[in-house]
Amino acid sequence: MSTLAEHDALQASAPPIASGGSGVPAPVAPTGRTAGASRRVGRVGMAALIALCVGLTLTFLALPIVALFTEVPLADVPGLLGDRTVQDALGVTLRANLVANLLIILLGTPTAYVLATRRFRGRALVITLVELPLVLPPAVAGIGLLAAFGVAGLLGPDLQDAGIVLPFSEWAVILAVTFVASPFYMRQAITAFEGVDRTFVDAARTLGAGPIRTFWRIWMPLSAAGLVAGWVLAFARGIGEFGATIVFAGNVGGKTQTLTLAVYEELDSNFDVALAIGILLVVLSAGVLLSYKLIVSWRDSTSQSVSPFGRSRSTSS
Amino acid sequence: MTKLLLRFALPLALLLGLAAPAASSAALNVYAAASLRDVFTQIDATPAFNFLGSNQLQLQIERGAPADVFAGASTVEAQALFKTNHCKRPVTFATNKLVLLVPKGNPGKIRSVYSLRAGGKRLSIGNAGVPVGAYTRALLRRLGLSKVLKNNIVSQETNVANVVSKVALGSADAGFAYVTDGKIAGDRVQAIRLPRYAQPPVRYQICQVVRDGVNAGGAGSFIAKVRSSRGRSRLKAAGFGLPPKG
Repeated sequence: MSTLAEHDALQASAPPIASGGSGVPAPVAPTGRTAGASRRVGRVGMAALIALCVGLTLTFLALPIVALFTEVPLADVPGLLGDRTVQDALGVTLRANLVANLLIILLGTPTAYVLATRRFRGRALVITLVELPLVLPPAVAGIGLLAAFGVAGLLGPDLQDAGIVLPFSEWAVILAVTFVASPFYMRQAITAFEGVDRTFVDAARTLGAGPIRTFWRIWMPLSAAGLVAGWVLAFARGIGEFGATIVFAGNVGGKTQTLTLAVYEELDSNFDVALAIGILLVVLSAGVLLSYKLIVSWRDSTSQSVSPFGRSRSTSS
Repeated sequence: MTKLLLRFALPLALLLGLAAPAASSAALNVYAAASLRDVFTQIDATPAFNFLGSNQLQLQIERGAPADVFAGASTVEAQALFKTNHCKRPVTFATNKLVLLVPKGNPGKIRSVYSLRAGGKRLSIGNAGVPVGAYTRALLRRLGLSKVLKNNIVSQETNVANVVSKVALGSADAGFAYVTDGKIAGDRVQAIRLPRYAQPPVRYQICQVVRDGVNAGGAGSFIAKVRSSRGRSRLKAAGFGLPPKG
């Protein structure tokens, strides 16, 4: 408070200049000694304001997480997680994400490679398409999937003739997760491929390596860390997927009920189980994010060792 | 410093100021079962409505949600709220019946509820907590068909609107909903009648919520509107049954 008072005093002593007809002195830029003091006060005020913002932000973000852990006795959590519903949901979540991630990596990596290395008309449009699920509301993604692959959808009759009925099946969950999580991998993969130093590629080609060999020996190792980071993010998004799944895949216990859907359902019937699943998901997500950070810092250190002047690390060891 | 305050604090204050009126508005908040969406907005479109599963609404009110009126699709939720002094004495204002909905064209080739015995169909039902789910289970028990929840692929929905949309979009081969929902969903679904002897008594109850700052006047007049002759004729037109006038 003393700084404020000091500030007011300084304001008062500052030479008033034309202040309109209001009679209230307009704030003017102080000069000389006064200016220095005012700047100091400004700095202190600024620091206090920033501290306040930081404190508010961190408290606001941490409070719900802390509350999750304090609301239910931690000793009860393992018992609650032993619940049949939770076990089934955990199984569905892990299975669906495993397959979805395989699909994303197997199909997404070549696509990202092409998008990163080729320049063609409409490339920006294609990249926008690839990134669109990132900003699309998940429920809309679910409706889109229904309209495409649902029984009455665009491909529905053809799929049905082939004996494939997606809604209410585990494949529906896999498709939903693949759709919403793929951009997280694709974006990182495109960036990673774009970041590969072309001199290595050219060197490999001049030394007689074919395109396939160059891809596996140059492109992949040099972008590996970026690809893994992208995969970790896609995995995290997939674990948390809710909207597209509940719309497209339904809520079938043991088949399409993922952990997030189980949280939603248990909220009505068993709040403690819902909280326990919440804690499990927090731990999972935090673990995934932490491993992402570790991978990123590892990538930064490896990319240094690849650069021509970065060999000191390996020679000094 | 004043400049600084202006630059940072003013927008913050403005933001908080914008947020405040939304929280303390004196409008009427009606929490009603999802199956009442169409008919309630016809009877009176002015209140702020919250349409969900009755059990979800009960939970919200018990945790202090700013509701003024509660209308549930069974007597369970309203009576529970009444017993814990969260609402005044509930009155029955409508009844309903269950039907089996199938998508247009009936791709699952379901002729009656007994077609479900064979299993392998995709079914959409309410979960055990929401009234429509409890009624569905009661009905199947009376028909001796509880097994169909095991040998078919059953998606559990949190309210009847989700059951209907799963059928209307063709995700499910069939779903158990209210006869009034079949009317709303129109030509996207077909309704198959269920044996009358197995129908559970579906009774809708409405009550005025008890809490600090409740809009008692608005709540009273909304409930009166629902129970008035005009309200009753709207309910009837929507396919609801009516309790004796009283």
